[in-house]
Amino acid sequence: MVDPNSVNPVFESPITSTNSGSAGTSIGTSADQAALTLADESSLTKTLIRAEPRTKAERQLDVVFGASRLVDGVVISGQRPSEWLVIGEANDVSTFVDRIDREGHVSLVDHTHSRAMMRLTGLDASRVLEKVCSLDWSSEMTPNGAVVSASVAKVGCDIVRNDTFRHGSALASSAPTEVIPPSYWIACDRSFAQYLFDAILDAGQEFGLLPA
Amino acid sequence: MLLVPCPHCGPRNASDLSYKGESHARPDPNSATAEEWRSYLYMEDNPAGWLRETWYCRSGCRRFFVLERDTATNEFRNPPVPGAKLGGKA
Repeated sequence: MVDPNSVNPVFESPITSTNSGSAGTSIGTSADQAALTLADESSLTKTLIRAEPRTKAERQLDVVFGASRLVDGVVISGQRPSEWLVIGEANDVSTFVDRIDREGHVSLVDHTHSRAMMRLTGLDASRVLEKVCSLDWSSEMTPNGAVVSASVAKVGCDIVRNDTFRHGSALASSAPTEVIPPSYWIACDRSFAQYLFDAILDAGQEFGLLPA
Repeated sequence: MLLVPCPHCGPRNASDLSYKGESHARPDPNSATAEEWRSYLYMEDNPAGWLRETWYCRSGCRRFFVLERDTATNEFRNPPVPGAKLGGKA
């Protein structure tokens, strides 16, 4: 009998892009220098936390609906009223979640394998989103850190604008005049992931969007 | 396009929400007659004018809320209060 504790966690992405091998592993180089890319980041750990108002957990999370913040290598996003999605590398999320107080009506559910996640990055990223989503994607309405839930290509998605955070570290502009392009995490149900990935690629074709 | 003022998400395209019908006070299950239940479940006033109705923000905050809409002009009034108790006619 196999000891489940001795087996490393296995993750298989629901997305296979034309530029990717299995599990979203990039095998091409054409997108490396592209100004507009769509990357499969489904393997990031995603934990959904629900906490009633006035619980200690709510105070610990300290993020209002529609906003997000970076804490200890994880992004806490206020997905819905009294509902947060914690996103990051497995160890960072695990460490963070272990510190959450469970007193009161608080629940934590791992969504890593049920939710796919992709990252759309580039100066024209908002123009791509405007083609498949009815929200206003200007920086005035959805600045860096904004969190919204909306229909993207008819799929219910949670979207986090996150220009300055990549895999556990914050980006810094190397020159004062350098512009950090907008970047959006788009999370959807696993079963819709391949369709959504292809639909966004189609929408971004005119802007030179490439899978990364 | 009909813009529905969600109390959490702000104005949203009506296609992002589900219309749940007229908002009526729920009868007391301990004392309601069969006729009252039928009326509550199936009968609607359907006025040409102001109507109190329930919406569900399907693509956004996933919350139910109540607001008033003029069915003749699609104008909304009385911005809904998040978490407001359902029930009661306009």
